[in-house]
This record gives sequence, C-alpha cells and structure tokens, in this order.
Amino acid sequence: MKSWLGLFLVLALIFAVIGCGADEPVVDENGVPDEENGEPVDEVAEVRVGMVTDAGTIDDKSFNQGTWEGIQLAARDFDLETRYLQPGGTTEADYITEIGNLVDAEFLLIVCPGFKFETAIYDVQTRYPHAKFVLIDGYPHAGDWEPVINDNVVSIFFTEHESGFLAGLATALQLGEGEVGFIGGMEIPPVQKFSWGFQQGVAYANENYGTSVAMQAENFIYEGSFDNVAAGQQLAAAMYDKGVDAIFAAAGGVGIGAINEAKARAAAGEEVWIVGVDVDQYDEGIYEGNKSIILTSAMKYIDVAAYDMIEAELNGVFPGGQILMFDAANYGIGIPQENPNLDAEVESIVQEAFEAMQAGTLQVAEEQGDLIR
Amino acid sequence: MKTKARVKKDFTMSFFAILLGMLAGSVLMAVTGNNPLEGFIYLFRGGLMNIERIGNTLATATPLIFAGLSVAFAFKTGLFNIGGAGQMLIGGLCATAIGLTFDLPKPLLLTMIVFGSLVGGALWASLPGLLKARFNVHEVVSTIMMNWIAYWTVYYIVPQYFKGPFLETESQRIPESASLKVPWLTELFNGSYINLGIFLAIIFVVISALILERTTLGYELKAVGYNRDAAEAAGINVNRNIVLSMAIAGALAGLGGATFYVGFASNMQIGVLPAQGFDGIAVALLGANSPWGVFGAAVFFGLLHTGKGFMNAMTAIPPEIADTIIATIIYFAATSVLIERNWDRIRKINFGSLVPGKGKNTLEAESGGDE
Repeated sequence: MKSWLGLFLVLALIFAVIGCGADEPVVDENGVPDEENGEPVDEVAEVRVGMVTDAGTIDDKSFNQGTWEGIQLAARDFDLETRYLQPGGTTEADYITEIGNLVDAEFLLIVCPGFKFETAIYDVQTRYPHAKFVLIDGYPHAGDWEPVINDNVVSIFFTEHESGFLAGLATALQLGEGEVGFIGGMEIPPVQKFSWGFQQGVAYANENYGTSVAMQAENFIYEGSFDNVAAGQQLAAAMYDKGVDAIFAAAGGVGIGAINEAKARAAAGEEVWIVGVDVDQYDEGIYEGNKSIILTSAMKYIDVAAYDMIEAELNGVFPGGQILMFDAANYGIGIPQENPNLDAEVESIVQEAFEAMQAGTLQVAEEQGDLIR
Repeated sequence: MKTKARVKKDFTMSFFAILLGMLAGSVLMAVTGNNPLEGFIYLFRGGLMNIERIGNTLATATPLIFAGLSVAFAFKTGLFNIGGAGQMLIGGLCATAIGLTFDLPKPLLLTMIVFGSLVGGALWASLPGLLKARFNVHEVVSTIMMNWIAYWTVYYIVPQYFKGPFLETESQRIPESASLKVPWLTELFNGSYINLGIFLAIIFVVISALILERTTLGYELKAVGYNRDAAEAAGINVNRNIVLSMAIAGALAGLGGATFYVGFASNMQIGVLPAQGFDGIAVALLGANSPWGVFGAAVFFGLLHTGKGFMNAMTAIPPEIADTIIATIIYFAATSVLIERNWDRIRKINFGSLVPGKGKNTLEAESGGDE
C-alpha cells in the first residue's frame, strides 16, 4: 500500500517535471489541446469565458454573483464554456496569477469585477496581448491613476449615484416620514457614490413631494470590510434602536448581516426596512411567506454588462480600449422592475425621475459636496 | 541532540503526512467526480510547468518560510506563537512606512526596510513575551489579541498617513526603489513576481539553524523549551530567554511581512490579516520545527497555492473544492505530529511481536507517555 502511494507521488512529480522541461503552454498556439498525457480535454469553443472573483465568494449575493450570472446567461445563449477562479488573496500578484492560469487554459475572454484589478489588468494587458479583458468598476493603470487602456481591454463603470438616488427617492416616498441610515462596506468610490446619490434622492423627495425623512451623520457608517456579517448585524441593530426605519446597506456580506437583523425584527412584528444593493435582493430579505424586508434595491446591471461584452466579442465588435459608462440613459442602473413593498404611485414617481435622468433634466452629483460621507 | 536517525525519522513522518494528505485530497476529487491523477498532475504542473511558475512558487513560499521559521523558533523554547499574522502586519507596516517616507538609493533603502521590519516585528512580539515572563500571561491568548491590535493599528495608520489620492483602503503603491522586486530577477524568471525575499529567507534559515544548533543562546533557548524548571535550576535565566525567543520569532515574522508587503504585493491593504501568519503554524509542524524542514514545507505549500489555480482552470474542479483539497492536504500535513506519536505503535504491530527487544529504544521512550 505504502509503496503504491509512493509510486503515485513519484509519477505525479515526473509529469510535473516533464511539463517543466518543455516550457510551453498546455494548449498550443492554434488552440489545439495538448494530448500528450492522453487525457480527455474538452473541445475548444470559439470563445471561452473566464472570470476571476474579487474579495468574497462567487455566491456573495452581489458583485461576484451578478457578474457570474451574466456570464452564465451568455454561456447558455451562445453555448460557451466558462470557468471562474478564486484567488488566494487580494494582492495584485494573486490576481495576475489567476488571470495567467485562465490564459494558459485558453480562456481568452476574462471578466474581472472590482477596482482592485486595476493594476493587475494594467500588467496583463501587455503580458497576454492575445487575451481580452473586461474590467468592471475600474480602469487599468500602473498605480498612478493614469489610465492606460490597450485595445484588448474594456473598462466598465456604473453611475452608482443615479442608482442610489432612485432608491433614496423610493425609500423617502414610501416611508413618508421617518429616518434613514446607511451602512457601507469599504469607503471606496463606488460605495461612496451610492451613499451620496441616496442622500440626494431622499432630499429630493423631501423638497418636491413633501415627505419628511431625516438623515443624521451618525447613521451613515462605513463598516470597513465587505465580509463581516456579524458587524453588519450589530450596526443595523444599533441604528434600528436609535429609531431608524430604513437602512441602505451597500456592503456585500456586511449588508447580509443587516438584512438578517431586519428579518429577525420584522418576524417579531417590528416595521423595519433594508434597501438592497447591486442586485435585486428581495428574495434575500424574505422572512415569512413571500414578505420581505427589502424595500427596494439600488441596482447595477453588472450581469447585463458582462453579457453585453461577451456578445460583442462573439460578434467581433469588442469595444476594446474604451471606458464604457452604464447609466440611466442606457438602462445600466435602476431599481427592480417589481417592488412588492412599494406603492404603485411611488413606483411611477421613481419612473418619472428615471426618465428625467435619461433626458438629462435631472442631474445627480457624483461628488460629496456638502453631503454626509 | 539531533542525530541523523532523528532527522531521517522527521523526514519520513512529514513525507507520510503529505502522502496521507494527498490521498485525502484524491478521495475528495474522486467523490466530486474528477480524476485525482489528472487533478494532481495539473496541480504540480501549475506550480512547476515553466520557469515563471517556479518563480511564482518560490515567491509564494517566501513569506511562508519566515512565518514557519517564526513559529518553529518560538516552539523550540516551548512557546506557541500564534501571532505571526500580526507580527507580519507590523513588519510590513514598518517596511511600507520606510519605503514611502524616504527617497534613497535602492540598496540603502532596502537595508533600512529589512532592518526596520525586523525591529518592528521583534518589538511587537516581545510584548507578549514580557507578559509571559513577568505575569505568566499565556502567549497563545496574548499573541492572538496582538494580532487584532496590529490589524486595527494598520487600519488606522495606513489611511491616515500613507493612502493614495483616491482609495481609503490601501496604501500608495511603494516606489520601485523600495520594492524587493528587481528587474534582473523578474526577467530571469520570465516575468514572475519572485523577489529578493527568497534570498533573505534562505539567509535567515541558515542563521536560525546556526543560532539553534551552534550557539549558547540557542542551547539555552532549547533548554528552556525542554524543561523550564530544569533550565532554571541549571542557572539559565528563563524569563530573559522567553522574551528573547519571542523577539526573535517576531523579527522573523516581521521580515516575512516585509517580503509580503513590499515584495510579493506592492502596497498594503487594510482590513486583512495575512493568512500566511497562520499557515506558518502548519509549515512549522510539517517541517518538524527545524529550519530546513520549514524551508521544504513552505516551498511545498507555495507549490500547492500556486498550482491550485491552474488545476481549477484545466479541470472541472470548482475553486471551493480546490480550496478544500489544499486545506485537507495542509491539515493532514500538520498532523505529522499525530503520526509520529503513533508511529512506534504502528511499527510495533508489524515488527514488535517478532523482535521483542527492538522496541526498547529512545524513540519508544519519547512517545511512550502519550498512550
């Protein structure tokens, strides 16, 4: 038994050394799989789509999951092979390693969600010129924020402030009067813009629709991470105890903690709300039957963005070298189509605001200005 | 003390532990409907397939070598240093601070960084050492707490003093002159992110081995580890040695932090405890607490971590299962101690009954008490 195991290890090592000596990719230039080891290798599709996850898991109910769902949808529609890899850490080196793994395995259209990929994409865009990259929420640079976008990279941004505005407007209108709070993940631009837009939306409702919804600086908090579920729950509990009625949780896993707290309170008969983020989180907030504590969600159509880029690549019109903005005008952001917790009247006002945004008559600031952080 | 037979036995134990881990990993792959042989081939190819990947394996192993040395060194003095992650953070913070503050020629700046991270880590870890020596506060508890103090210290200092123009969550990118990455090495390894840290690591493996095996200090440290009371009775200053041992362990982890934050990575992110600090415990266990054993174990772990992604990309094994497989291998690797404890019993079953006198050797005496 022992000698059999030894043999097994030795064999594995020999194979490794063989690969090492040859110094060539497993799949050759023409995309023909290397059959040297006689293993069954999947047939190479036209475009193989890879994804590297940001901090957090693939089922994070927000950023990674949204991207992956878009890729999966494209895979079904166009019959593609897809794969995602999860880096061991969040350093540039970790990201470059996983991107390299995908490229070596001939996944040549690679979607990377998150600003943390910026410097990694800057590196790999020249290292792997035959691969194409979709970078969501960031643009490639060498660490100095000077954009350098090669023809094989497309950068995608969303107008989080517009999305936050619509959610804030809907929240204020639905509450009529009360108080709202905000729990953010890390204090990074996409999250900050959600907060600033949300505040403007609430203020807009107060000014134009006679609502009186209060916002206090002490209830606008950045937890500092995207994965501390327990802390999210504590922060939400503290805010609800202070009399906050609805919390906008733009915080990944931290937001899940806030949702859990709201669910527990709602189940006990309290009326509390959460405003979801990134994707329609209604199902996440269901506590009884089909009643959910998710009032509405400030959405970024990440899945649509990923899907569109894959489709563009298949049609030979990959918008390489560009920075694309997904906003109200091209239906890149918004609140969900169906909001069981919003009145029809509220939804129609939000729809009006959305159309005003598209027409350019309603402007939402993407800077802090004199807003709460 | 360390006889050839003993070294050989340690090696056998570790080898057996790795095999057991890989066997468990194979079971996991088979259960999830994948071919284990194929999986392991891709795993090893991913870490060794070309010169770039070998470089990456060594670069991944570098902080692990330091973290492992740190745990192993403290363990020799009977101390369990769980604070590797925090000490790495402080070492990395010192390195980043020096790198971002001073504008000096590269050799001078790197010397300062190495020295700074070493001192930072040493001071940080000597605190739990002092608490242990003075007030008998258990070092497991205090080092874990120190991890969180380090975590929040970094959380405060980096955004306050070293952040870039936009992001609140990470430091500025360190300048080229402060990076352990050097162009000739990167080119030699074909674009890998290997850095000077690996040479530092080898130097400190040698230094640790020398201190432990060839100096009075090393002898005293080990004496305290073997039997505190006996050491005291023999006139060894136990308290001084406890503080010293923790300080050296901290210095090693601090250096590991420097190789991680200004070598492997190129800036410092807040809100993350480096996993290497904890992996260092498994590295030390697998390496049987000997400096060269730690080196080998760290390279093996580096290989697993580097090869994992390629295995993922080439097979249908999902990342979560791959992580579980790696964790399983590490877990089993760390159980080499358990195997060692039962090794003589296993052998006794096979040979003991045939050769009655054979069991009465020193090894038997060592493990006898555990049963």
